[in-house]
Amino acid sequence: MKTNYLLPHTYKIWGWILLILGVFSGIFLIIIEYETNILTVPVIAIYSDPFIGEAGFFEIIENSILDELASIAIIVGGLIVGFSKEKIEDEFIYKLRKDSLVWAIIFNYFVLIFSIVFIYDLTFFHVLVYNMFTPLLFFIIRFNFLKLKSRSHEE
Amino acid sequence: MKNSIKVQRAIHDMTQADLAEKIGVSRQTINAMEKNKYVPSTVLSLKIAKLFKKPVEDIFFLEDND
Repeated sequence: MKTNYLLPHTYKIWGWILLILGVFSGIFLIIIEYETNILTVPVIAIYSDPFIGEAGFFEIIENSILDELASIAIIVGGLIVGFSKEKIEDEFIYKLRKDSLVWAIIFNYFVLIFSIVFIYDLTFFHVLVYNMFTPLLFFIIRFNFLKLKSRSHEE
Repeated sequence: MKNSIKVQRAIHDMTQADLAEKIGVSRQTINAMEKNKYVPSTVLSLKIAKLFKKPVEDIFFLEDND
């Protein structure tokens, strides 16, 4: 099966490592409520409007980049896990991957609609944060579940 | 769509893994086809028919609701 967007199978393990590192640092950030000075470095902000001080374009500000690194690790790791080839990549696996993607998008938006209706105030901010990653995570979970299910039905 | 892959496999004394290896797919794919959970592409159907030296119609059949 020829596909032009899938990475070689050997990338998958690195994707998992990156994803797990990202998820654990993400959980750590949630526990400490994003209050940290770890890895505070000067960064370029295209637009910055802090609580105290003036807003401005293209400023250099100080920021803890732990949350940025965690987000990028989850997204890049997740993309690699979801879009690297299986050991035997064939049309059935390709179909499972596509079906999982469709399922993940629909499921994600149902969850989001539910959250919009029933979750308010600052708690909704957390929903928005999680929602940056849930489409990818639901996809990976669904895809691996379908793979496992197709493997468990022996002759 | 239904198929007689399982029967053909029995005639040729092949396991799912043997057939999978010969046509270059995973064993799960063969399993899913035999359980009628997956309709193979035309390319894959032709490959299977060629391997069993039969016309495609002898291995794959339409059902009433197709």
